[in-house]
Amino acid sequence: MKIAGLAENARDGNRGSFQELMIMFQEDIYRLAYYRTFSQMDAEDITQEVFVQAYRKIKTLHDPQRFRAWLYTIAVNRCNDFLRKKKYLFLLQSRSAREQEVEEAGEKVNNNYTDTIAKKKFWEQVRLLLDKLSAMERQVFTLRFMDHRNINEIAAILGKNESTIKTHLYRALNKVREESGFFQEYRESIS
Amino acid sequence: MKKSNLGHLLEEQIIWAVVDEKELSEEGHNHLVECPLCQGRVEQFMVELQVFGERANVSVPPLTKTMRLPQAEPSAAKYGARWIPFVAGAAMAGLVLFFYFLGMDAMSPKLATVQDQEYLLEDEYLMQEISEMVEYPLPAELYEITGDAADFDDDFLQFVLPDFQEDFQS
Repeated sequence: MKIAGLAENARDGNRGSFQELMIMFQEDIYRLAYYRTFSQMDAEDITQEVFVQAYRKIKTLHDPQRFRAWLYTIAVNRCNDFLRKKKYLFLLQSRSAREQEVEEAGEKVNNNYTDTIAKKKFWEQVRLLLDKLSAMERQVFTLRFMDHRNINEIAAILGKNESTIKTHLYRALNKVREESGFFQEYRESIS
Repeated sequence: MKKSNLGHLLEEQIIWAVVDEKELSEEGHNHLVECPLCQGRVEQFMVELQVFGERANVSVPPLTKTMRLPQAEPSAAKYGARWIPFVAGAAMAGLVLFFYFLGMDAMSPKLATVQDQEYLLEDEYLMQEISEMVEYPLPAELYEITGDAADFDDDFLQFVLPDFQEDFQS
């Protein structure tokens, strides 16, 4: 209810209300971007761009009750654009430049996550797991179990009907379930 | 929905139960409510996914960048007020240029020549009219009455208006 009120005020031109919304959602959007880019810097840049775009387009928000879904839609689209551009740039790069970039990324990861190698290993596993899913399955799985959105919200964010979302989620879980090794340590830790 | 040979839910039914329990058939749903083993399988998968999500959550490096909004766009009134001097200046400049070029046109040699010619023609017509009026001071109807006698000779004039000198002498 509070979110809807703030969204309504922000839509009417109240900058302070939008800033409140930004503070409320910036961590969520940042995590959403990180789950898709696996890069702190890129995720932070995307988060900034998402809020700038949302601020400029807030007047197009028809239903303030659906502000969260609207914001997530912007964020997901921004991430998709970013990944698409990155993919093309990666294809255009020479092999040596690509190898150098990968090495640099590896060094960055080591510097940022010196506290634990486990985090690095975890994200490597996540990447491998998500690579096995189709684009839509990956979107649905990430939104459901990493961004913690329910089926109804995912349908609104991706602009699909709920049964389509459920079908993609079922397929994604089926593939995830097949990766018995991935959840083995969780099973062990739970039991 | 199918059940396994042992009467428990199949693997695909467990997954559907995780996606949404309502997607199970009535039979499957009833079994799930009654069977602690199947409930345990569903719950375990759900917990695994939940733990995975939480692990992902805490493994994200902290957000270090401060998010900033673009500068506030000025309101319509301020926007208009800010542009008033520019608009007024532009209008003034436009007026000056308009009158300047208008004056230039009026004074241009080409136009002056045309106007002079027009004035000369008008003068010529006017002078012609004046000459005609001097030559024929009476209306044309009166000349028709007089006919050819318009050219009066001296004898006729002497008859109409005799010289005063002659009168005095006589």
